[in-house]
Amino acid sequence: MGNTLRAIWAAALTAVLSLTLAGCGQKGPPWALKDISGLMPPLKFTLTDANTGRTVHAEDFRGHLVLLYFGYTHCPDVCPTTLSRLSRAVASLGPRANDARILFVSVDPARDTLADLKRYAPAFGPEVVGLRGTQDALRALTKRYRVTYGYGKPDSDGNYEVSHSAAVYIFDRQGKARLLARPGDKAAAIGKDLARLDADH
Amino acid sequence: MTSMPTTRSLLTALSLLLTAAFAAPGPSQADTERHEHAVGFSVHDARLRWLPGDLPLAGYFALTNTGQRTARLVGAASPAFARVMLHRSTHRGGVAHMEHVEGVDIAPGKTLHFAPGGYHLMLMKRHHRLSPGDSVPVTLRFADGRELSATFRVVGAGAQ
Repeated sequence: MGNTLRAIWAAALTAVLSLTLAGCGQKGPPWALKDISGLMPPLKFTLTDANTGRTVHAEDFRGHLVLLYFGYTHCPDVCPTTLSRLSRAVASLGPRANDARILFVSVDPARDTLADLKRYAPAFGPEVVGLRGTQDALRALTKRYRVTYGYGKPDSDGNYEVSHSAAVYIFDRQGKARLLARPGDKAAAIGKDLARLDADH
Repeated sequence: MTSMPTTRSLLTALSLLLTAAFAAPGPSQADTERHEHAVGFSVHDARLRWLPGDLPLAGYFALTNTGQRTARLVGAASPAFARVMLHRSTHRGGVAHMEHVEGVDIAPGKTLHFAPGGYHLMLMKRHHRLSPGDSVPVTLRFADGRELSATFRVVGAGAQ
């Protein structure tokens, strides 16, 4: 009886261990950023590229790593700080930096003209693309990624604040949502995960 | 060996000359330093982050209260902008907000940091074209009526 019990225990232990190892094998080492694989739908949108003035779709960015960020140009602190951080992370890829695109989607299309976005986005790097859409197109995209944004009350000069989700969604070359970068994540951590995604074919 | 004192005196003369050379363009800088100390503050790392067109810019700096009493920063102004406001970025539930700040206290001996992602000056409506590398005068105003003038350097959009 003692031997049988021991054999059952050994079999159970082996099963648990192999399951654990298989799990580890699938996931690999932990990512520096939040892993959102399977939690968010693949990239999909129809917007206007401020640089060319043409309509672009998510499919146009297949083959590139995509960093999707929502903001507005009349945002002097948080948006430039984030774009600068993302640009440094992409620059850390060195010669592979061209494999990534930072998509800056305006959540303030009433004030952000295509001309504004065309001047604004490249100020942070050649890989930054300014995108603008109708409120309907913007609503569809933000709803898809549960991104929130709202407008404050205009002051006497007509200026108003725009609150917006601070997170950056990172997609692989196939357009699958993979990682979420949050305000506390440093450029080095983002760069490290981008390099790993970039090497992953 | 007799050349040693000569070398030393030459070096001394050279260093005096260098000091004079560096001090020469600096009367204004020296005045600013004296002014800053006179009012009980010192400012470091004062910079504006450049953005294209006439978009509002953010101003950052580190301000040390070298006086004996708590100082309250209540405003700022610059001849290069129509309006300057004290602002603060906050994150609540993953959402970034920007809010107007009435004033910020600085205890004696403490340093207040206006830095990316937190407190910042918001400078609106440029009176003239600005480029990275330019210098812009900004005056910080305190609740007790004191004022502190500092030169802010314009840095690139991608600067930290």
